[in-house]
Amino acid sequence: MLLRILTSFCGLSFALLGAHSAAQEPAITAPKNVTAGTPFAISVVGQGKGTLYLFGPTQAIKREIEFGKDTPIAGSEASSAGIYQITVCAADCVTKVVEVQPAAPARLGFLLHPSRVPVSTPNAVNGTAIAFDQYNNIVITPSEITFRIAASGEKISEKTVRTVRGVAAFQMDSRPNQGTLEVTASLATASEPRVIQQVASEACGLRMTAAPSGATITLQTDPIRDCKGNPLPDGTIVSFIKVDGAGKSTVDTPIKKDRAIAQFSVSGPARISVACGVVLGNEITWGGR
Amino acid sequence: MPLPGPRLRVVLFTVVGAVSVAAVLSIVLAFAAPTLPRVSLSADSLAPRPIEQRTGEVVSHDYAQAWQDLALCLEENRTDLLDDYFTGEVKRRLAQRVRAQKASNLRTRYSDGGHKVKAVFYSADGGEMQLEDEAQLEVRVFDGDKLISTSTAKQKYLVLMTPGSDRWYVRFLQSVGDNAF
Repeated sequence: MLLRILTSFCGLSFALLGAHSAAQEPAITAPKNVTAGTPFAISVVGQGKGTLYLFGPTQAIKREIEFGKDTPIAGSEASSAGIYQITVCAADCVTKVVEVQPAAPARLGFLLHPSRVPVSTPNAVNGTAIAFDQYNNIVITPSEITFRIAASGEKISEKTVRTVRGVAAFQMDSRPNQGTLEVTASLATASEPRVIQQVASEACGLRMTAAPSGATITLQTDPIRDCKGNPLPDGTIVSFIKVDGAGKSTVDTPIKKDRAIAQFSVSGPARISVACGVVLGNEITWGGR
Repeated sequence: MPLPGPRLRVVLFTVVGAVSVAAVLSIVLAFAAPTLPRVSLSADSLAPRPIEQRTGEVVSHDYAQAWQDLALCLEENRTDLLDDYFTGEVKRRLAQRVRAQKASNLRTRYSDGGHKVKAVFYSADGGEMQLEDEAQLEVRVFDGDKLISTSTAKQKYLVLMTPGSDRWYVRFLQSVGDNAF
C-alpha cells in the first residue's frame, strides 16, 4: 500500500514537473536556413514576456519580446553569412540555430599576378578570383567565372572556370609579344579588369662595336632585343667591362632608344666585354697584336 | 629523530627553495602564456601549389594564435586583440560583434577543443590559402554574469588566409553548415 502511494506521488510529481517545464520553457520557431540580407521572423510559443538574444558573425542583439508574437529580424541584421544562435530566456533559456547562407554572387575579388612578366614564359601569369555576394560573404555554391584575355596584337580569348568553395583560379603562359595583357574576370553583373605588362625577355645576341675617339674609345651596342625580337625597355642596365694595364673597370649604362653607349680611356692593350642581366655579349680586344 | 647537521640543513633548504621557486614560476608562466588551441593541418591534395613544410607550420601556428585572440576578444570584449592575426573583412565583422556585445553587456566564452584543418587551395603566387576547419568548441554565452546558453558542437568554418610581412593573417572566417564540406 505504502509502495503504491509512493509510486503515485512520484508519478504526480514528475507530471507536475513536466507541466511546469512545458509552461516555462519557451519553444522557438524560426527558419532553419535564411539567405543573407533576407528578413525573417522568430516566434516563441506561449504567453508572457522574455528576452531574445541573437548572436551572429557581426551581431549580438538583446531584445525584450512577448511570447506568441512574431519578432521581426531585419535583413540588415542577418547579412553576414554564418551560423546564428537564437536564445530565448524566460525562467529558463532555450537555444536554436539558424544558418544564414550567402546571397547570389554580386561582386568579385580578382588578383592577377605578376604585374610585369617576361614574354613567352610558361605558366607565368596566374589569376585568382573569389565570388562574393553583395554583403561580402564568400559564395560557396559553384558559379562560373569567365576570364576574358586580351593581349596586344592578338585575338581576344576567353576561359571559363567553375568556382570551388567560391574560388576560381587559372594559369597561363605569357604571350610572345611585349605590351599589355588585360584580363577581365566576369561573374553575373560583376566585372573586374586587371592589366599587367609583358616585357621583353633576356637579351639575345648581345653585340657591341668599338670606335676610337681621341684618347678614348666609344663602345656602342647593336639594338638590344630578346630572342622574339622585342626590344628591351629603355633604362635596362648594360655593363661594359674593361681590363687593361690600369686594372679592371666597369661602366653601367642604361639602354636609350634600344642601344647602350659607353666611353673608356685605355692604357695599353685592353679586353672589353659587355653584359646585360645574365646574358654575356661579345668581347673586343683593343690595341692588341 | 635526530636533527640533520648544519650542512645537510643548508642543502635541504636550497633544494626546497629551488623547487618552490620553480613551482611558482611555472604557475606564473602558465597564466601568462596560455597554451594555443590545437591545430592539425593536412594539405595532401592541395592545389595548384604544394605547401612548403615551413609554411604549413607557420599557417598552423598563426591560425591557432588567431583563435586564441578571437576567444579572448569575445570574452573580454576587446577589439585591440584583433590587430595581430586578423585583417580585412573578418576583422571588421569581429569588431562589430564585440561592439554589439559590449553595448548589451554580453560576453561569449569559447573553450577550444582543437581544429582539424584541411588546406584546399593555395594560389600559384602564394598570395592566398583557403582552409576548411572543423572546430570542436564549447561556447558559453553570458548576459552580465548570468550564463544564458552553453553549447558543445563541431562547427565548420571556411577560412581564407593571406601572408603578411612576418605572418599569415585570417582574412575570412565564415561558419558554414554541416554539409558544406
